[in-house]
Amino acid sequence: MLTNNTGPVAKLYLSIIYDVIESIRELFLDEGLEDRVLDDLKHLWESKMMQSKAMEDLRKNTINSSNFVLQLPANYTQTDQELGASVVIPASHSIHSFPMKNNSETLATFSLPAGLTYPVQIPAGVTLQTASGQLYKVNVPVVVTQAPAGQPPESKTTHKVTERREAAAPQSAAIPPNATHPQEAEPPSVPATAVTQPPHPKPTLPPGQESSLPQQPPVPAVEPSQRQGAHSPEPEVTLEENEPSPQPEPVSLRMTASPCSQMLDFQICTEEVLTHTAQLKNRDIDDILKEVIEEEREKAERARNRMPAKTDNQSEAVLGLDLDYNYSELSDIVQLDGPAGNSDIEEEEEVPLEENDFLGIINAEAVKALQEGDGSSDGNSISSTSDSEGADELANVEEEDPLNSGDDVIEQDIPDLFDTDNVIVCQYDKIHRSKNRWKFHLKDGVMCYGGRDYVFSKAVGEAEW
Amino acid sequence: MAYQLYRNTTLGNSLQESLDELIQTQQITPQLALQVLLQFDKAINTALANRVRNRVNFRGSLNTYRFCDNVWTFVLNDVEFREVTDLVKVDKVKIVACDGKSESTQNKNDKWWVIK
Repeated sequence: MLTNNTGPVAKLYLSIIYDVIESIRELFLDEGLEDRVLDDLKHLWESKMMQSKAMEDLRKNTINSSNFVLQLPANYTQTDQELGASVVIPASHSIHSFPMKNNSETLATFSLPAGLTYPVQIPAGVTLQTASGQLYKVNVPVVVTQAPAGQPPESKTTHKVTERREAAAPQSAAIPPNATHPQEAEPPSVPATAVTQPPHPKPTLPPGQESSLPQQPPVPAVEPSQRQGAHSPEPEVTLEENEPSPQPEPVSLRMTASPCSQMLDFQICTEEVLTHTAQLKNRDIDDILKEVIEEEREKAERARNRMPAKTDNQSEAVLGLDLDYNYSELSDIVQLDGPAGNSDIEEEEEVPLEENDFLGIINAEAVKALQEGDGSSDGNSISSTSDSEGADELANVEEEDPLNSGDDVIEQDIPDLFDTDNVIVCQYDKIHRSKNRWKFHLKDGVMCYGGRDYVFSKAVGEAEW
Repeated sequence: MAYQLYRNTTLGNSLQESLDELIQTQQITPQLALQVLLQFDKAINTALANRVRNRVNFRGSLNTYRFCDNVWTFVLNDVEFREVTDLVKVDKVKIVACDGKSESTQNKNDKWWVIK
């Protein structure tokens, strides 16, 4: 069996962690740092390793990997397991305590003990206790589901239950069932494992808001700025069983990274509404543009029909005025050179050019029509062709100028070539090449592919270039 | 001094992230963090040399190769890793390999100082 994430690799990693911690203990003492700092480092390091997929099998296979202890109420019986989930009450002690950051924030990280299979259903009334003694009371039934494979690393916490610290009173703690889509993961800056609790929890949100929380559909997009902004002013959400929301089934936790789901969801909803209205506005603008173009065509046709009865100057003036008016509308509404902002000058330059061209074409045709004294049919045909040509030219100008996509030069080959998650870091004993056949003799390597880690003492390979 | 190339592993990256968090909270100094990383380099080099005893074979097609500063960098495609009976296939893998015969490659200058 490949020495991947089963015992050998995990044990090796843990032993390395232990060695490093012990070797730097004196360093920390020399710096005058407390053991608490060293413990924090150790816990951080171990938690990150445990939560990475590289150690995923360790979590599955190791029995004593529980990070928290379930304390169930006296009236909890095994019959609850008939609900379909397997809930095991681990009797083992927890290995990891949870670090305190300057007593202001707490990283509350739970990982389900080995032996539990997903989904795990935690009934109401369950109290979770960390090794450090912090209590987290589950007041509503919670189902912890595991995210499907292929999730980005930031979303690996789907199997973790993030709960709030219980207040001094035995009030129900808050369980933020995040309705965020699991693939819309938190920003990379947020640790995948932990959720920072607020230093100053806000008062409980009104029940109306709370009730809407579990029923919100998954949000398609989450802005990192909103998430980061939502982290600091996190309200303390209290979900009670007597909420007006009629939700008999348990709440499903998809993403447990952000406790401030309510405010975040509201922000997301508003953002969605804004984008939707923006789309509506764009559509309105397109409709307006079409209408204006059609009006112009009609006016041009009417003008040509009237041309034999009018003088040249008057027709030109009428046309010019009409066209100017329409083009002014167009210039106000349409940004011909694309969405990129600082191109007002270009707009002003372009619009007059286009306007002049368009006017020139129509006027030329109108003059021809007057000179030739053609009938209405010919005039219409000429006007229609001129109109179509003008419209096409306008469209072509719109297409070519704003985008200029043909000028883009994308050089992504080289960076992408060397950018891969599958990396082997090792030492080489011998690298041999014969024509285009290469032979590799490697040693002491750490491999990482598919997010999982492998190690080897010797590796021999062949490849053809 | 040991090779620092193992810092770009899951273990090394998680350690660096943890140290960065402690630096941000001003619990440790950057110099101390550097010392920790140096200790990590020693520990992982020792562990890999002494505690790992397995052999892997692989075969694939070589896409690119690079040799600079005594460091080989390969990119292979469609690689099969085989150990005893297990087989793992990977579409693309990058191999970064330092010279295994001279561990003090990074500190050539230091060697000269010692001689002097």
